[in-house]
Amino acid sequence: MAEERHKEIERSAEEIVESFVKAAEGLPSEREMYYSQEAYNIVRPDGKPSSSEERTEFRKRFIKIMPAKDEDGNLRVEVAKWVK
Amino acid sequence: MMVGLEVHQQLATERKMYCDCPTNYQDVPPNTNVCPICTGMPGSKPLSPNEKAVDAAIELALMLGCKVVIDKPTYIQRKHYDYPDLPSGYQRTSLPIAVDGELQGVRIREVHLEEDPGQYDPTVGSVDFNRSGVPLVEIVTEPDMRSPEDARRFLRQLIRVLEFTGKVRPEAGGAMRTDVNISLEGGARVEVKNINSVKGAYKALKFEITRQKAKLGRGEAVVRETRAYLESQMITTSMRLKEMEEDYRYIPDPDIFPLVIDDAKVQNIREQMVEPPHLREQRLVEQYGIQQAAANVIVSERKFADLFEEVAKEVDPKLAAMWFRTKLKKVFNYMKLSAADIKFTPKQLITLLQMIQHHKVTPEQGELVLRELVKKPADPKELVQRLGLERIEWENLELAVKEAIRRNQKAVKDYLAGRKEALNFIAGKVMELTGGRADPREILKLLRAELLKKS
Amino acid sequence: MGEVTKAKLDQLRSGELSPVENARRALERISKLNPKINAFIEVNNGAVAQAEALERKLKRGKRAGKLAGLAIGIKSNINVNGLRATCASRTLEDYVAAYDAEVVKRVLAEDGIVIGMNNMDEFACGSSGETSAFGVTDNPAAPGRIPGGSSSGGSAAIAAGMCDLCLGTDTGGSIRNPASHCGVVGVKPTYGLVPRQGLIDLGMSLDQIGPIAPDVYGAALLLEVIAGKNLNESVMLDVPKASYIDKLDGADIKGMKVGVSPQFVEITDSAVMNVIDKSIEALRDLGAEIVDVELPHIEEAMPAYYLIVSVEFFSATRKFDGRKYGKRIEDVCGDEVLRRILRGRYISQKEYRGKYYQRALQVRTIIRRELMAALEKVDVIVGPTVPKLPHKLGTKLTPMEMYAYDYLTIPANLAGICGGVVKAGEVDGIPVGLQVQGMVLGEEQVLRVMRAFEAVS
Repeated sequence: MAEERHKEIERSAEEIVESFVKAAEGLPSEREMYYSQEAYNIVRPDGKPSSSEERTEFRKRFIKIMPAKDEDGNLRVEVAKWVK
Repeated sequence: MMVGLEVHQQLATERKMYCDCPTNYQDVPPNTNVCPICTGMPGSKPLSPNEKAVDAAIELALMLGCKVVIDKPTYIQRKHYDYPDLPSGYQRTSLPIAVDGELQGVRIREVHLEEDPGQYDPTVGSVDFNRSGVPLVEIVTEPDMRSPEDARRFLRQLIRVLEFTGKVRPEAGGAMRTDVNISLEGGARVEVKNINSVKGAYKALKFEITRQKAKLGRGEAVVRETRAYLESQMITTSMRLKEMEEDYRYIPDPDIFPLVIDDAKVQNIREQMVEPPHLREQRLVEQYGIQQAAANVIVSERKFADLFEEVAKEVDPKLAAMWFRTKLKKVFNYMKLSAADIKFTPKQLITLLQMIQHHKVTPEQGELVLRELVKKPADPKELVQRLGLERIEWENLELAVKEAIRRNQKAVKDYLAGRKEALNFIAGKVMELTGGRADPREILKLLRAELLKKS
Repeated sequence: MGEVTKAKLDQLRSGELSPVENARRALERISKLNPKINAFIEVNNGAVAQAEALERKLKRGKRAGKLAGLAIGIKSNINVNGLRATCASRTLEDYVAAYDAEVVKRVLAEDGIVIGMNNMDEFACGSSGETSAFGVTDNPAAPGRIPGGSSSGGSAAIAAGMCDLCLGTDTGGSIRNPASHCGVVGVKPTYGLVPRQGLIDLGMSLDQIGPIAPDVYGAALLLEVIAGKNLNESVMLDVPKASYIDKLDGADIKGMKVGVSPQFVEITDSAVMNVIDKSIEALRDLGAEIVDVELPHIEEAMPAYYLIVSVEFFSATRKFDGRKYGKRIEDVCGDEVLRRILRGRYISQKEYRGKYYQRALQVRTIIRRELMAALEKVDVIVGPTVPKLPHKLGTKLTPMEMYAYDYLTIPANLAGICGGVVKAGEVDGIPVGLQVQGMVLGEEQVLRVMRAFEAVS
């Protein structure tokens, strides 16, 4: 059932892609526009990191919303399939 | 057999790559050095890349003899795959910032910037994001190694070179991780991940060779796959990760502007960086036209090489190199000194070597002066005078030669009769007469000329 | 016309209305109207406390911030610490935001009261307001019809007077479209003007947070509060703060060059176009010079957009794996969300990337160039916001028919320019919005035209 829905949606997703290919047919090649502005080398200096006070609040909330956790604050997830 | 490595090395920064969390992930409880960005919370956006990490990556690439990619956008891309330690479902990884390097005969294909994922314990099923976002540099080699020993040797040298820069986190459990790629003749390429030490790389390779040889021996195929190294058992096991073999669907990260490195920046970093011995040796050979063996001795100590380069500005480099390699080194060793200990000034050494270069003193006399210079620095010209080592004037040398001939008739007769060694005997007498102030080569020349007249 | 926000602010500043009273009234109104309109997913139980804190601050003699106790609705894809940022999806239905988005910080710093989280199309993937996992939103200005989307809840809330101002988001028209359908004011700022830290992505290179308001003054005010460079993110314009409201008084457009494109007429229903034509006449009467501008490839923008946004959305949703919070998105999301994820997954593959994703980015360059060229000739471009009137709730539309609503709004997102919507008129009681587009950082001109028009309509 879910498989069918998945396939149906995948199929309907292609329509606009085909529509695009048609629309772009006559248009020339161009540079790709990845960003709205031309800006480069925007970097940030290394330095004093954030203080632990700033992070304690977030840590509390982060751990609170974890679906599964242990008492040390680790997130609990699945065990790897390849582990013997 | 072909062995290639992908080495992931953590960089020594205080802040993470895309957020300001601290990087000392081993010192704090789980999930403490975290924020919405490095935990991939919904809506979080990266901060601009850590500048120190970018500069360090360029410096490391230069250390490895790479060509930095300049004047082209170096995009930070999203590399998508599903794994518990990857909080956003993609890793931010740059296009190569440098290519085509070499270390110890192994070619370096490329160097790029990455961020570390969190720490996932696959046996327990727990994730700690303290490490997530720590800056990494990835060094990818060509499959130029031919044995586990090759790989081990390369990794050790690589660590030495990287640590020399002072820009990487010291090797302490996980600052460097390696993926190894190995293929045997007749088998596909196998990748082994989860290796945290040089020993681990060695053992993983040895295990793989055994495993693969056994398979091929039985007539079974060695398929292309990704395996994990299990340190405790020293074996590798298949990870059966279909997703990881899938397309990473790289796109430039729309939340980070690309880097464009220009030549000025590279030169700036090159000037500021401490040149490692292996690169300096090469440069000395090329720049000064000196012999490899001499360069090798000169770079054995950084200050020694610094002194050489200062001297080579004003003295014939080949002469200087010969002196550094032999006489200087000899004097230092004898007096148990390093170049850092010397008290004489470069100018003083330059003066001395210039006097030798212009035949104002003989090399043997120069060595005497040098010993004095090291013991108690002074102007070499003064030392020469004080030691009575000025070069004898030509007329006085002629007189001394004639005198030596007159006093040693038997030796003269022997020489004229064909006994060549008698010449050295007479020359020795001239040395005595001139108090060592003449160049032995000139003594011999004059003697021969004089004795020729007599024959 | 257009005095609602100013009047409310005057009341709050003069003390005639207290922030607590304002908050209470908003909460009452929401409680009364929301069951039918469904503009809010969650109400902020701490709103009154926030207002009380503001009152204490005022009593101490401190001046109120620019928002002075106005009740603000926040779209449910923006993180507000302590409230759920659900994106109207089962994926995040229990996700309590663990931090404040930068725009929320700025709203709070100016003494805005966060009144609740607005309903929306699921993950902003829609133009109707019908795809929320928490039920459809009704259009208070045209009951029984869609309010538009994806900022459906915010626009409906303003139209019904449930709160004073709202923050929406616009990726392909998601502020302007519902503003038009609901007869309210909405502005999509220049890309990079407003911080996105804390906004749950639809398309990273396209999204912008913007104001929805009952009048141009209110929109300008809220825009002023949220705009300006954020040092804690990377892709932003290097613009410090901005000021818009002080330039609105007596907004005069005499001599301004206003562009109209013949392509708009080709795309738009005549009923809608009639209203727009009258608006253009009104602008002419106000002294503007109407100039024809050609936008020959404007129609190609829509399919290009859907390819780009699908790739970016696919990337953005990889974090919803159900491990750290919420559920795995593919397990619980609606059809359009899944459609975009699968499409994005497909066309970003190595072998297809050049043909689809990169090609679409090339078309983007063409669209941008055309709009930039047009905006060199004129100060603003005006026209319809949507090609057709909002359909009745429950009407079945194919995905392509739904995408068709976006033809006129998408170009501004692709190009990164700004665009605002103000009510132009009605067709059979259904609102029609006039879209005013301006160049990069041309918000001032856009707002001026909108205000001048508002004053006479």
